[in-house]
Amino acid sequence: MNGRVVAAGAALAATLLVSLPGSAHRNEQRPVVARPVMDFTPPPAGSYTLNVIHAAPDGLVADLDGRPRRLSELTRGRITLLSLVYTYCPDPTGCPLGYETSVTLRRLILSDARLHGRVRFVSLSFDPVNDSPAAMRAYAGGNAAAHGPLPWHFMTSASMKELGPILDGFGQEIEVELDPRGRPTRTISHMLKLFLIDRAGRVREIYSTAFLHPETMLNDVRTLVMEEDGRRP
Amino acid sequence: MIRHICPSLLILLVFVFSGGGVLAVPRPALADETCNSPYTTRLIKGQEDYVHVWTLGVEGLGDGSDKLVTIDANPKSAQYGKVVHALPVGGRGEAHHMGFTDDRKYLWAGGLDDSRIHIFDVGTDPSKPKLVQTVGDLPQKTGFVGPHTFYALPGRMLVQALSNARDHGGATGMAVYNNKGELVAKHDMPTTEIGGAKGDGYGYDLAINPRKNALLTSSFTGWNNYMMDLGKLVQDGEAMKRFGATMAVWDLKAMKPKQILSVPGAPLEVRWSLNPKDNWAITATALTSKLWLIRQDAKGAWQAKEVATIGDPAKIPLPVDISITADGKGLWVNTFMDGTTRYFDLTNPDAPKQVYTKSTGKQINMISQSWDGKRVYITSSLLANWDKKGDDNEQFLRAFRWDGKELTLAFEVDFTREKLGRAHHMKFTAKPAAKTGAAPPPRQTAAR
Repeated sequence: MNGRVVAAGAALAATLLVSLPGSAHRNEQRPVVARPVMDFTPPPAGSYTLNVIHAAPDGLVADLDGRPRRLSELTRGRITLLSLVYTYCPDPTGCPLGYETSVTLRRLILSDARLHGRVRFVSLSFDPVNDSPAAMRAYAGGNAAAHGPLPWHFMTSASMKELGPILDGFGQEIEVELDPRGRPTRTISHMLKLFLIDRAGRVREIYSTAFLHPETMLNDVRTLVMEEDGRRP
Repeated sequence: MIRHICPSLLILLVFVFSGGGVLAVPRPALADETCNSPYTTRLIKGQEDYVHVWTLGVEGLGDGSDKLVTIDANPKSAQYGKVVHALPVGGRGEAHHMGFTDDRKYLWAGGLDDSRIHIFDVGTDPSKPKLVQTVGDLPQKTGFVGPHTFYALPGRMLVQALSNARDHGGATGMAVYNNKGELVAKHDMPTTEIGGAKGDGYGYDLAINPRKNALLTSSFTGWNNYMMDLGKLVQDGEAMKRFGATMAVWDLKAMKPKQILSVPGAPLEVRWSLNPKDNWAITATALTSKLWLIRQDAKGAWQAKEVATIGDPAKIPLPVDISITADGKGLWVNTFMDGTTRYFDLTNPDAPKQVYTKSTGKQINMISQSWDGKRVYITSSLLANWDKKGDDNEQFLRAFRWDGKELTLAFEVDFTREKLGRAHHMKFTAKPAAKTGAAPPPRQTAAR
């Protein structure tokens, strides 16, 4: 189509099974996702600038073994794609889509050896009550990787008290929806956001649902790599 | 009644349901969000509870200050149709337009004269908005003045200005702020020839289409003109030459202009059809009283063409605001001078048909419709120095019910009698249906 990328099939957003959200879903009906339509050719990597939006916040998080870590250890030194999620999100345009997009982007990055060792993924839960390290391990499935060409860290936190400043720093609003009697449900209202962070820990792009186009995101990653290397077309 | 929908569900459902969708979820209604960035969360599906009106202060009327006026708009409320809150910001800066942040918790409101941007918290308690920040560095950091449109992008706000600090003419640009109110970037409006037409450097409104990676901008006039008395302005031949006559299509990701379109007569509000089958936007030209369609052709180039006439252009009805329906099949148009609200059938966007008119005031400006299209709100003020004089200077918010055939007045707030000022831009909010904090563990989960 004249080089135009039409994701998710002719003008339709595809509804897909999330391929790898871990063992917790293996014997369940896996969540569907609805990809945003992409009807354009993304601008070439390095032909544009990703402005510094704000600094990525720091704070204490917990890894899959429950060990505390500074988030800054996971947002500095490499280009980082950080997703804020909760594991049982049922929204086809929410966390499952973010996960599926990350899987797709990981495949694209791994297909380019020049990007190996330059990027990491971080999935951080904003629900420390339900998303224990064990729940995050199940959510990660085979995708968790602390090392390798593209590490993917699945993190949670000890409490909302520790997590709150991190969410505030990212500008991530979350609210628990109430039932008609005013009681909290297990649906967390949030705007899906994935953050592209440079190796200096600065947020350079933010993707919400309508902008989750893996090909564009790949070019954004390449743009930051070119910037790091002092290369411009 | 569903007030809020989960995350960004509504946003993407617009993209998803193009006829072959496989999700067993009804397509939600959209309306007013089409009049500003729809790329926000917590959109309202049902009844809005409040209408917030960004109001110009009038010297000698009440406190004389610009203010955010909050009106109860829920028919089930005892306060229905009443002003429940008024928040002055101090001084008169030509209050004009507003826009929600992506999380819909904050409302940014600009002043075309003082170039200040006031940020209100409308998420914590929408019945009592709070002024939490005022951004005053737009002229100093960008050289632009007159912040007009506030359009939410993820984590930031795209601001279209109208003028510049150097000569107060029409050359201007866009500023990108993060949600903390810190400047991220600035972009000048194009002045070179791109794609067959030459940019005039002017700006007015903007709207994006992520599916196309497109940003579409329009053009109006600079501070020298919009702060001039309208009667004097129309007699000034040289000044009347200084209005925008172009639109620009930008590469949204790169924030670079890709194509200039010739659209004479000051194209104002930009509305993309959110119907996923559509690849067009529509605008109205203030001076020539036309509707223009902007559409991508089969080769990927953007084309602009005149598709309808609004009233009698010889009488300069001055179309000032438009509001597109959720399905892209209808368009409300307000014309200021004759106080007429018009409805166009957009079923064929190449040939919009006016199917309804109603005189809704002696002067009318903004028009916003509810999510389901059943309620239509109208305000009166255009600009402090362009509003009519004497008895024709009505200042109001009027709420109407729309049954598809007739607008019926539901309530009215007289902004002069209430000593509020000149009523301009409107935004809707609903009472929170969620609370901040963590979800409970499963055993504590309420029955749903």
